[in-house]
Amino acid sequence: MRGSLGLLGRLFAILLLTVLLEFAVGTLIYERSSQLYLQDDEARRLAEHLVIARKLLTEQPPEDRRLLGLQLTTDRYDIHWSAAAPPPPPLSPELERMRRQIIAWEPSLEKSGLWLRLTPGRHSEVNGGLRLPDGSWLYFGMPHGGGKWAFTIGRMGLALIPVLALLLAGWVLIRRTLAPLRDLTHATHRIGRGSEVIVPEAGTSDVRNLISAFNAMQARIHRLINERTETLAAVGHDLRTPLARLQLRLEEVRDSDIRDAMGDDLEEMGAMLESLLAFLGGEKDPEPVVRTDIAVSIATVVDAFQDHGRDVSYDGPDHLEMEVRGLSLRRAVRNLIENALHYGHRARVSLLRKDDEVLIRVDDDGPGIPRERLEEVLRPFSRLDDARQRNTRGLGLGLAIVQKAVAAERGQLTLANRPEGGLRAEICLYLPRSATRG
Amino acid sequence: MTAPSIILVEDDPPLRTLTARALQEHGYQVRPASSGPEMWVAFDAGPVDLVVLDVMLPGTNGIDLCRQIRRKSDVPIIFISAKGSETDRIVGLELGADDYLPKPFGTRELIARIRAILRRVGVERGPDEHRESEAHFDGWSVNFPRRELRSPTGAIVDLTGAEFDLLGSFLSHPQRVIARERLIELSRTRMGDSSDRSIDVLVSRLRRKLSTQEKGAPITTVRGVGYMFNAEVSRA
Repeated sequence: MRGSLGLLGRLFAILLLTVLLEFAVGTLIYERSSQLYLQDDEARRLAEHLVIARKLLTEQPPEDRRLLGLQLTTDRYDIHWSAAAPPPPPLSPELERMRRQIIAWEPSLEKSGLWLRLTPGRHSEVNGGLRLPDGSWLYFGMPHGGGKWAFTIGRMGLALIPVLALLLAGWVLIRRTLAPLRDLTHATHRIGRGSEVIVPEAGTSDVRNLISAFNAMQARIHRLINERTETLAAVGHDLRTPLARLQLRLEEVRDSDIRDAMGDDLEEMGAMLESLLAFLGGEKDPEPVVRTDIAVSIATVVDAFQDHGRDVSYDGPDHLEMEVRGLSLRRAVRNLIENALHYGHRARVSLLRKDDEVLIRVDDDGPGIPRERLEEVLRPFSRLDDARQRNTRGLGLGLAIVQKAVAAERGQLTLANRPEGGLRAEICLYLPRSATRG
Repeated sequence: MTAPSIILVEDDPPLRTLTARALQEHGYQVRPASSGPEMWVAFDAGPVDLVVLDVMLPGTNGIDLCRQIRRKSDVPIIFISAKGSETDRIVGLELGADDYLPKPFGTRELIARIRAILRRVGVERGPDEHRESEAHFDGWSVNFPRRELRSPTGAIVDLTGAEFDLLGSFLSHPQRVIARERLIELSRTRMGDSSDRSIDVLVSRLRRKLSTQEKGAPITTVRGVGYMFNAEVSRA
């Protein structure tokens, strides 16, 4: 789709052009033929009138003819008789056709020296004369055309109605034909944001083919991703058994320094596996939404850190109940605190409710994140530590897991450097209605 | 008293050997089994005090085995799983397993859990106190198999293992003063040996979690003696 017109606009423009062209040509031809018909009609009526006038005049003695001429004059036809010879007939080529038509209708007028002339002016008039058998002349006049245009415009307006109806029908039909394509476009936007989007096969055969090809492609992509995810998860699970063996064999290591170091390594490997499985999981085995006291959950996480001697504090209400996936939310808060402790020395966790928003904040006193990398750190496997200068544990999935957990709650995760130094990670959750206690 | 007998069902041979050895070193008699049928043979070999059961087994899996065991016996069961998913844990506990241990685990952790369960069975599971599943007080409800506490409005309230055991101890001695030392002994199950946290910290945390806007927690301090749980407890 190029420009702002789109496929629908373009097809409609084609339809518009075709219909208008057809209308213009059709009208032209119709007008022309109806004009000819009108002229024909005009000539016929004139011919009949002339034949009668001629016959009547011929039958009258010459002294009564002038009076009879007046009597024969109607609103339309002006008839008078003259014994005088006519002026030489001027050339009126535009009326030649009319003259021929008159003669065609009344061949008896052929030999009467019929001539026609157009008097110019606002109300143009056709004048003419014809010779009576005794050599005297009959002169006549009648208005020419007139009032034709108003009539024509009215008729054209009438003719436009079916054209407009046609255009409307065309618009509706094109829209309907293109609807499956529009669905396909919407579906394409939704792909890759969770579940598979199957587009119903509809429309013309080409569109059907396109949609079925699209669905097949999508299925392939999903299968590929699922296979990878399952493989990674299976490896993760399978690694736990040898890890468990190592853990048990650790007891046999006599040297306590080596044992402690190996214990740390094993713990780290276990944590890596856990974070990997947490990141991969959730799709096949989604956690149900359960009403949970998130204030207690957060306080419990904070308590655990305090028990391990870490400087973590909680500031907020004792209770706040919400419908959430408690386990993944707890993991998210734990990950944020771990990050805070990794880059800083302490973590200040706070929970507050603002109208329909619930904000979980984790502030640290670390160096913060350079503004240009704020987005990058949310990506899986990204790490802030350059060149592994610091002792980095884990796979770099911490924030990606938080991001996933928060997205599942339709909340928002924001990272921002605090003006007084340090980073603030904020999870914003939305309450459906007033659904809290305490 | 003879050494407690444990049946260990684990399909990975090295892990089975290692775990068995670790248990033996801590004074337990171990009957290892690699699958369901072997487990039933081990059951027939003599009295059993506890079963350590891997969830993922060839043939009949651990979940089904647990269900089959429960039809016949109340022997304590500890699940071991490489999956570590929450659904696994809850399914296991609901089927009547007593604990759930994700792989990898250390010897100390395994032994602590086994000891805790054996002690709990010995102390709490008297002849009439038989595997209760729920208790209620002041609108709160406690689900023992799932180890879950729900608020009067039905929300899950997170408790650590130690906090849950402490609450369990209170619930089995309602409206009676419990001496601090006795409480420590009763609640020791979860605290294991890793962090011997002061019982007072545990009590204060539990109090905070059980308090509501309208009402404080039903735990009162009896100066110089211990604590008392001040609520009527109904059990189901």
